[in-house]
Amino acid sequence: MEVFWRKRRSNNRTGSRWWLPLLPVVVFLAGWQLLSGVNLINPALFPPPTSIAGELVDLYSSGLPTRSLLLTHVMATLRRLIVAAAVGILSGTLVGALMGISRRLYRFLDPLITVLMPVPGIAMAPLFIVWLGFGDPTIIALGSIAAFFPLAYNTAAGVRSIDLQLVRAARMMGADKGTLLLDVYLPWAAGYVLVGIKLGLARCWRTIIAVEFIAAASWGLGYMIWDAAEYLRADVVYGGIFLLIAIYFVIEKGLINTLEKHTVERWGMVRRQ
Amino acid sequence: MKSNHSSVIEFLFPFLTVAALWELTVRLHLVGMEMLPPPSLLISKLWTLTVRGVLLHHLGSSLYRLTIGYVLAVGLGIAVGALLASRRTLREMFAPVLSMLISVPTIAWVPVLLITMGLGDRTVVTAIFLGGFFAITYNTMRGIEMVNPGQLNAARIMGVGGWRLFVEVLLPASLVSIITGLRLGIGYSWRALVGGEMLSALVEWGIGKMVYQARFWNDVLVMLIGLLIIGFSGFLLDRVLLKWLEQETVEKWGMLAKR
Amino acid sequence: MSKAIIEIQDVHKIFDQGAAQVEALGGVSLDIREEEFTVLIGPSGCGKSTLLYLMAGFEQPTAGRILLDGVEIAGPGPDRGFVFQDYALFPWKTVLGNVMFGLVHNGWSKQEAREVAREYINLVHLSGFENAYPHTLSGGMKQRVGIARALAYNPKVLLMDEPFGALDAQTRKHMQRELVDIWDKTHKTVVFVTHSVIEAVFLADRIVVMTARPGTVKGIVNVDLSRPRDYTGEDYLTVRKQVLDLLEEEVEKEIRLQEKAI
Repeated sequence: MEVFWRKRRSNNRTGSRWWLPLLPVVVFLAGWQLLSGVNLINPALFPPPTSIAGELVDLYSSGLPTRSLLLTHVMATLRRLIVAAAVGILSGTLVGALMGISRRLYRFLDPLITVLMPVPGIAMAPLFIVWLGFGDPTIIALGSIAAFFPLAYNTAAGVRSIDLQLVRAARMMGADKGTLLLDVYLPWAAGYVLVGIKLGLARCWRTIIAVEFIAAASWGLGYMIWDAAEYLRADVVYGGIFLLIAIYFVIEKGLINTLEKHTVERWGMVRRQ
Repeated sequence: MKSNHSSVIEFLFPFLTVAALWELTVRLHLVGMEMLPPPSLLISKLWTLTVRGVLLHHLGSSLYRLTIGYVLAVGLGIAVGALLASRRTLREMFAPVLSMLISVPTIAWVPVLLITMGLGDRTVVTAIFLGGFFAITYNTMRGIEMVNPGQLNAARIMGVGGWRLFVEVLLPASLVSIITGLRLGIGYSWRALVGGEMLSALVEWGIGKMVYQARFWNDVLVMLIGLLIIGFSGFLLDRVLLKWLEQETVEKWGMLAKR
Repeated sequence: MSKAIIEIQDVHKIFDQGAAQVEALGGVSLDIREEEFTVLIGPSGCGKSTLLYLMAGFEQPTAGRILLDGVEIAGPGPDRGFVFQDYALFPWKTVLGNVMFGLVHNGWSKQEAREVAREYINLVHLSGFENAYPHTLSGGMKQRVGIARALAYNPKVLLMDEPFGALDAQTRKHMQRELVDIWDKTHKTVVFVTHSVIEAVFLADRIVVMTARPGTVKGIVNVDLSRPRDYTGEDYLTVRKQVLDLLEEEVEKEIRLQEKAI
């Protein structure tokens, strides 16, 4: 227990030990490979990482030169993600901004959002399948809804939280309603909107994968994983999960962190985690 | 100062408005009743199902699974989180892994579990556990990391150390983050419950299963009822149960950052 | 002259800051005498807080020793009390709970602890606030709780790390007077760190002036005035000048060190 309070002055040391986070992963994979190889764990249920990797490569190359099977699945999911995220984020931001400005609208919509937001997308899937059928429409609709809520909620919070002094200062300097919205409210709320985008994108992603388990007709990463599970292809399932992690990692690091860097961090409004 | 009555009414007003508009739209034949049953039908069906005990059975099964999985997640999550927080090396090793595992849609674990653990209860409970565990572990770890060393030192100089220091000082001081973890965890666990029930073929009873099964008869009515209950339960679990916990502890102690 | 309760023997302290090493203390030898109010003063970075932390046992010296009553200090313990600049109160405990904490964990029964705690809450003029949570109190009040908490289990030495640094000027003056009042009643051995000369001259029996980094003892000024002291009195001002003379040179050095580092 004594270790808890050792003063953390030398946090800079992490730079020199970049390999630490990789250690558990490497050990885990190596152990898995070993145990599966000598049949200490059932290789049908836990195929060794090498065969998983091999299967992924196979999936990638099958169907070429016209189109790679794996890539088709991934692309289907990403396409849905982009459309759903765009719709959800844009509509959510708009509604949230309006809620932020109009107290009446806020008081009307807030209880609805509060109660509807926690409903899991996958739970709504059967309903939407009845309404919109299998495939893209259902998946994208549910993805959009998933992204909408955090955006609306956070944007509203952001706009409402504005320091009135800033508004007063702007009006003093002659700003009109349009300028106020775009040049004062929106930049201020940008921090909140960004958090909303992070959350909204995450929820959209999770919902799309989940709904694909049930509602995808023939393409999609979720569909691929689910289909493999039904045929007890453990290697494809694990491979699929790996891809899920990798793709989301790229999305988050790439997209969102660049966004943050160029807006909110530059303005000193958010501390780096 | 608003009375409790008027704030309850204000809360319900939007729902009543939406329900009224909904009822109207269906009665005016603007939308087919099979597509979107009106609230009046919903309520009557809700009543029938409750009286027959069907609803209770579904709900009870779900809550039973949720309790087991979530309680395990809380217990192990806090323990592991504290363990990881105790050594900087451990933190550095596992923080990135944990945050990546959290980013995996909880539902994605279900196919793995179906293959390895079968199609029944155990899979669902494990999914619930995993959903909560990662979030709770990660937040506990960060919370303990961020404890004000002054408070720890204050206790140390009074001769408090070891286990007592952990339970009486370290845990309360990191409660804000731990509760955040608990709230995130229950959200993930709840979603894992619903999704897990839907995907596990051998599971017969459960609120998620109820919604899923209704598809085979295109029973939109039951689906809507199920969704209502899912949404309401999720709301109760987070906004009521955990918010209550938050209010009785960290809010009372002034430890929450100013909104 | 009372005996030395703390003996600091040629203490050095070096910190590792990433690639560089910082020598906070470069050989400090000092005696803290029993029932005396000793103030450590010096430019920022001179290591006065570090020295206090070593006496508290939160850190260990890189070289040299510190003895408390002839025994080397191995870690923190209830023979000492500590008052923090940012109060470090437990937000989840009431005022009473905070002050009782040291007692309950050192052998007092809950009943006795409560009684003793109440006495000390009284001593710092906070009766009536026993059941308040710290976040509802003002800065001055919080620090009074901190002092009560540190004194309640009757430590041999009270260590205070710029306890009034976070308070506004009026409250600070008020707290200084309160502290003198408390000290008159208890006559604890106190080691007090500050960078305010005015505060030092108001409170201290002995003022230890430290050099810029690496910190050592530059000089000691004895303050023989009776308390409570008059901020404007001639004797007060004389002592103040003495301390300032020693201090200013070191402050200059420290500023130049900092400029070089940028």
